[in-house]
Amino acid sequence: MATVQVSEAEKVYIMHGVRDDLRVDGRGCEDYRHMEIETDVVSNTDGSAKVTLGHTAILVGIKAEIGKPRPMVADEGFLEFFVDCSANATPEFEGRGGDELGTELSNTLYKVFNNRNSIDLRTLCISPGEHCWVLYIDVLLLQCDGNLFDAISVAVKAALFNTRIPKVHISEDEEGGKEIELSDDPYDCMRLNVENVPCIVTLCKVGHRHVVDATLLEKACSEGGRGSLDPESIFEMTETGKRVGKALHAPLMEVLQKEESLGKKRQKVGFLG
Amino acid sequence: MPVDTKRVRGPDESQSPLIFLPKSAQKVVPKEGREDGRQRGQTDVRPVFARCGLVSQAKGSAYIEAGNTKLMCSVYGPREIERKDETDMKSGRLFCDFRFAPFSCQKRGAWIQGSEEKDFSLALLESLRPGVCLHKYPRSQIEVNVMVLENDGSVLAHAVTCASLALADAGIEMYDLVLGCSLRQDGATYLIDPTFPEESGSCVADNAENQGSVTVALLPSLNQVSGLQSDGEMGEETLVDAVRACIEGCHKLYPVVQQALIKSVRRKAPPPEN
Repeated sequence: MATVQVSEAEKVYIMHGVRDDLRVDGRGCEDYRHMEIETDVVSNTDGSAKVTLGHTAILVGIKAEIGKPRPMVADEGFLEFFVDCSANATPEFEGRGGDELGTELSNTLYKVFNNRNSIDLRTLCISPGEHCWVLYIDVLLLQCDGNLFDAISVAVKAALFNTRIPKVHISEDEEGGKEIELSDDPYDCMRLNVENVPCIVTLCKVGHRHVVDATLLEKACSEGGRGSLDPESIFEMTETGKRVGKALHAPLMEVLQKEESLGKKRQKVGFLG
Repeated sequence: MPVDTKRVRGPDESQSPLIFLPKSAQKVVPKEGREDGRQRGQTDVRPVFARCGLVSQAKGSAYIEAGNTKLMCSVYGPREIERKDETDMKSGRLFCDFRFAPFSCQKRGAWIQGSEEKDFSLALLESLRPGVCLHKYPRSQIEVNVMVLENDGSVLAHAVTCASLALADAGIEMYDLVLGCSLRQDGATYLIDPTFPEESGSCVADNAENQGSVTVALLPSLNQVSGLQSDGEMGEETLVDAVRACIEGCHKLYPVVQQALIKSVRRKAPPPEN
């Protein structure tokens, strides 16, 4: 991520602001920056979404392919995450520079989303032990302006909401050979239930309080996210995180439903919006 | 490389035969109590054996054993930073490398570092960094290498403890030791310092609530948490209780680790005989 230098005076200014629940850009401690979501932005994918949060811009594309289920869980499909930190976002990602952050992000996403209750992976199963849907979720960082985790999780959720998996059915001939048939109707699709798909809420401790959706400046004030915390503040932060997460989910689902209900009338914004 | 065409090549991907065992033959984690005689819902960590200074070439090293989990760690440095472009004038850099020996887990691992190992390396780095006085080592790097010899659960937690022990043995200035403890939440009760089957197995029926695991890294005398990893899903109160239990577990390790350090110091500088 782009390195930001803060002077002592700036630091004091930001910390005092946070103490009084008024941050540099006028937000309170538990407010997100302006967020924009657009789904169905890439036509070659089965589901896609673009999310901007402040100046952070994330593009997620989901492709569904038929694969073999893992032997441990024969009746479930699975998700594969890949996060690409493109050098567009910051020059530090050039070459192999973004690899480390990319693996960190994709490992976290895998941990958070690959959960029995978040998506019912059994709906991705085609025939147990033989075929299942594999969802390749590719995340592209277009611009970095702090709080990647939250923005990515929202984008993934929106893209999963937008995902349409073609319906298939299995026919069996006399000799017991199985064949997968794809439905003729391109609109005959399966949707995923994203009601329980989680959103990540990152909290940053600045001074004695914690803030949601920290900008790069604020993050630089909290030791760049590499300090230690006393147990009590961790408990407070989980409480805040839960509250903020709940407050984020409801409007997000509403926005996604609303966008979809517009259908073809929806005005496309694209990447220059 | 010449390829022997007459030879029957094995499949590219292979699985351990153990996972194809019928359900009845698989070992089940008991629903009550624990196999090794410990109790559920109590902070009775496995007895730990720790010793410093087993790698003679390293600046500092440590070995730790808890049940069948065995791992070793060596620390090299401080030395001049290798990648000049990343030289930080004000503070040193810590590098962590976490590896499983290929034979350490039930399934054979590859020699190249996998994504799980990279994840653990990062978690280890983030847990250790607040404990080390890096500003005392400007323009230098300190390397921490952890090798898991046998994985029987809670490897990350023990890796943190072992690495901080090795750092202390290397004479690196630190604010505090860093101790790790992990826990497997199983519904309303928890299993502290879980063994591998307890950690990975689904102990109870599917769809039960509060299934997950938590790993905490603690600076015991400063009472600061430097690392917290949580997997699975848990209610907020459960998570809070789980973290508290882990902290308690860490404190139980503290005397053992202290003793190991005292022993190593005695060995290095024997008290004068008079």
